[in-house]
Amino acid sequence: MEEQVIKDRVVGIDISNTLTTYAIVDVRGNIYAEESFDTSLYPDVNDFVAVLAEKIVTLVEANGGYETIRSIGMSAPSANSISGYIENAANLPWKGFVPLAVMLQERIGLAVGLSNDAHVSAMGEYAFGSAHGMKDFIVVSLGTGIGSCFYSDRREHVGHLGFAGEFGHTCVEDHGRSCGCGRQGCLETYVGAKGIVKTAKELMEASDAPSLMRQLEKLSPRTIAECCDQGDEMAIEVFRRTGYMLGIGLANYASIVDPEAIILTGGIAQAGKWLVEPARESFEEHVFNNLRGKVKIIVSRMDNRERDVLGASALAWSVPEYSLFK
Amino acid sequence: MSIGGEIDQIKTRVVGIDIREVRTTIAVVNIRGEIIGQDYFRTSDYPVVADYVIALSERVIALVEECGGFESIRSVGISAPSANYLTGCIENAANMPWKGVIPLATMLQDRLGIAVVLANDAHITAMSEKTYGSARGMKDFVVVSISHGGLGSCIFTNGLPHLGFNGFAGEVGHTCVEVNGRQCGCGRRGCLETYVSDKGLVKTVEELLAESKEPSLLSSCETIDIKTVVECCDKGDKVAIEAFNKVGTMLGVGLANYASVLNPESIILTGDMMQAGKWLLRPMRAAFDEHVFRNIRGKVRILVSILKEGERDVLGASALAWDAKEYSLFK
Repeated sequence: MEEQVIKDRVVGIDISNTLTTYAIVDVRGNIYAEESFDTSLYPDVNDFVAVLAEKIVTLVEANGGYETIRSIGMSAPSANSISGYIENAANLPWKGFVPLAVMLQERIGLAVGLSNDAHVSAMGEYAFGSAHGMKDFIVVSLGTGIGSCFYSDRREHVGHLGFAGEFGHTCVEDHGRSCGCGRQGCLETYVGAKGIVKTAKELMEASDAPSLMRQLEKLSPRTIAECCDQGDEMAIEVFRRTGYMLGIGLANYASIVDPEAIILTGGIAQAGKWLVEPARESFEEHVFNNLRGKVKIIVSRMDNRERDVLGASALAWSVPEYSLFK
Repeated sequence: MSIGGEIDQIKTRVVGIDIREVRTTIAVVNIRGEIIGQDYFRTSDYPVVADYVIALSERVIALVEECGGFESIRSVGISAPSANYLTGCIENAANMPWKGVIPLATMLQDRLGIAVVLANDAHITAMSEKTYGSARGMKDFVVVSISHGGLGSCIFTNGLPHLGFNGFAGEVGHTCVEVNGRQCGCGRRGCLETYVSDKGLVKTVEELLAESKEPSLLSSCETIDIKTVVECCDKGDKVAIEAFNKVGTMLGVGLANYASVLNPESIILTGDMMQAGKWLLRPMRAAFDEHVFRNIRGKVRILVSILKEGERDVLGASALAWDAKEYSLFK
């Protein structure tokens, strides 16, 4: 009998509204090959899966072949790791329930795991990033939407139906701003990208004070942060208010979960100290006494796209091995 | 273990201890959750913890001798406020006579000669619901207890309790629901507990009586507590009903935020506040459904514990005792 050879590579796939990225990754998180294409070119999910499968096959054949690949992990918005479906994704072109994991597995002949972007981000941080070695922590992604995932004793908490972590839709202001979800006062309406822009507009309307923001062609968290870098008082105030709300939300989250650290990821986290300093101040003011000064608030050091591809590769290792190729 | 001898015997009983501010309850419980014998004494008679441990161990020994002897006892589980399962200590309990950090599990284990484990009351309540109550068979759920002036909770994730990095998880009573709201005993403002607890209810009643011009039965009550407010509700008193509307709404908002983050199968409510029944639960449910994230709306069961108040925590402590690694000086 021959010696058994272990497969030491997986494929990680990150599907976002605009771009789909796929990469061949080894046990240590080294990326051997990576490619991407435009998600929105395929409004029909069957076409999307056919193209994705074809492209992966080509990439794998060119980089060591199928025999080296153990399994596939996939990150997508609104994906449910328990059902293996994408469920009513608000921003993807495919509506309703899409059994994406099974569809890809049938075409490719390898085991496929699927989970949503927030959970995959947390897996990426745990396997290869700031949360390495931690048992209890929260990863929060700050972008258009606010997502999160927490780990309990080294395992992710997914919840009864796989929907846990909807931190952006906790109510921070009774009868506050209207949210796309149909309710009012959700954290996301203050701390999400649109919420930050709204705060900036409100501040500009409320006074005649000069501000660099008034000259901006496009208001976005990034351009507002650039104004902060140039010392613009009103832009700094925008992030101070955003940070204050974020701090309350994080404090409530931490009082419930008691994490070792909270790791901030996503585009808005790039605002750095303009956001994090007021957030920390508000956090310490609102968190329960026994945790005050004990929770680390960290901005992720991983590149956003890299995190999700690596997280998806970490997810791939957690699915049972299955392959048509020996 | 006997080597080359007879078949090994397992021990089929444990001791559950429920320590509260006023009273300590001890029970010998078998594998099926049947209470074989029970005893209790006043906690507040022992302001020095060393004396308390001596008294407690004597009571445990006497009860165990009555109920089949130490050879039948596998281990001991304790429920206490502010207890930390990870360290085995009671840590800075606000309402107990003993201050600072007290290694109660070790102190009792030294005296009794069998394994002792310790956990806080919220964790124990959840253990009890999981083992003998409404959460049987569930993997992801939350148990919220509203009693003794506080609002505590425990989260189960994938069948196991979530304790947190320091063992402090579950402090939902100290999440902020109103910026610059009511002053809390913890030093901050607007904590959920300042609205949803017996003290919060009394405060709400006082505020309503001060504002309202309508006559209320509550104005003539000597003491205002959960029981008297419920009695006034039953008689149709508008102020009393409005008081529970307010408390229930706050609870519903707090639970909705909790559920949006955790996606539990169910939330199980326990504690003194549950005697308010529909007066509390109807407005709570309405506010919960209004504030919970849409993808789990209608998918979270909110239950009231079916276990008896007096039994839940000794049973939970006994369930915890089975988790302890077996150790005994008695063969």
